[in-house]
Amino acid sequence: MAEDVKPTRKNLMEIEDRIELSERGHDTLEQKRDGLIMEFMDILDQAQDVRAGLNEDYERAQRTINMARAMEGDVAVRGAAAALKEHPEITTQSKNIMGVVVPQIESSRVKKSLDQRGYGLLGTSARIDEAAEAYEQLLESIILAAEVETAMKKMLEEIETTKRRVNALEFKVLPDLYDNKEYIEQKLEEQEREEIFRLKKIKAKKEEEEKEQEEAEKAAAKEPETVVADD
Amino acid sequence: MSQEIAVVGSPDFTTGFRLAGVRKFENVPEEEKDERLDDAVERTLADDDVGIVVMHDGDLDHLSRNVRQAVETSIEPTLVTLGGGAGSGGLREQIKRAIGIDLMEEDNE
Repeated sequence: MAEDVKPTRKNLMEIEDRIELSERGHDTLEQKRDGLIMEFMDILDQAQDVRAGLNEDYERAQRTINMARAMEGDVAVRGAAAALKEHPEITTQSKNIMGVVVPQIESSRVKKSLDQRGYGLLGTSARIDEAAEAYEQLLESIILAAEVETAMKKMLEEIETTKRRVNALEFKVLPDLYDNKEYIEQKLEEQEREEIFRLKKIKAKKEEEEKEQEEAEKAAAKEPETVVADD
Repeated sequence: MSQEIAVVGSPDFTTGFRLAGVRKFENVPEEEKDERLDDAVERTLADDDVGIVVMHDGDLDHLSRNVRQAVETSIEPTLVTLGGGAGSGGLREQIKRAIGIDLMEEDNE
């Protein structure tokens, strides 16, 4: 690439400007990357807690529904499940962490009281209620986990792109620019040396010519008649 | 914008969530998962009303490569897997790739 640029002073100045800009960008991006990783570590701790809670809730929910199935029969459980009228809803808002937009999920109508569930109280037993409650609890954990894990995914994506940019600047853009700068500087110095050499040559030639002329004049002064006769 | 939660999995897995009021679900019987799970997941991902997809961690193995990658990296809707460790749902791999260290190692020991 170094040979692609024209070795002119203007290009050199342009490249110096670009180097300055790239270095500033590189520093800023590096800081951004480190900041993002620090934020990510915070979220990671949170995510691990949420995950642990989620697994616990899942196991409990499974236990209670298996109990309900065993005691009431599969059909009763499914029947109750099909009767649900209230449905949980989630609304997402966004929050900005260092330029990364992460969602904040809010849920409504996850936890329901007995009469809100919609299956008849007489036809079902307390075990089904328990199972429903356990799953409602599980859903809440899932919503929390979804929020944290989406934030993590988004942060990871941003970290990856930032890292790539930092590396591209550090290992590709800046070295190329430095190569070009070096190349132009060398070329310009070379041109300067050539110029000086050329000037010296011209000076030497001029002096020689002057000498010759002087000699010719001297010779002409010695025998002016010959010159006139020549004319 | 209000969205809903969707559950994809075997009937046993989805029943409990329906008991908690989840309306969107895809039932795929255990023995047909290899053939039908891909379609079910794609349908769920394409649904704009779905904000969170809940699946069992083991079911991800039944998905084809493309669908698995799509669902693991999807942010809208987000995938939450149950029954796996902390690094499930492709998160662990992504952390390894982005940070360069396996931060979730100690959880699986």
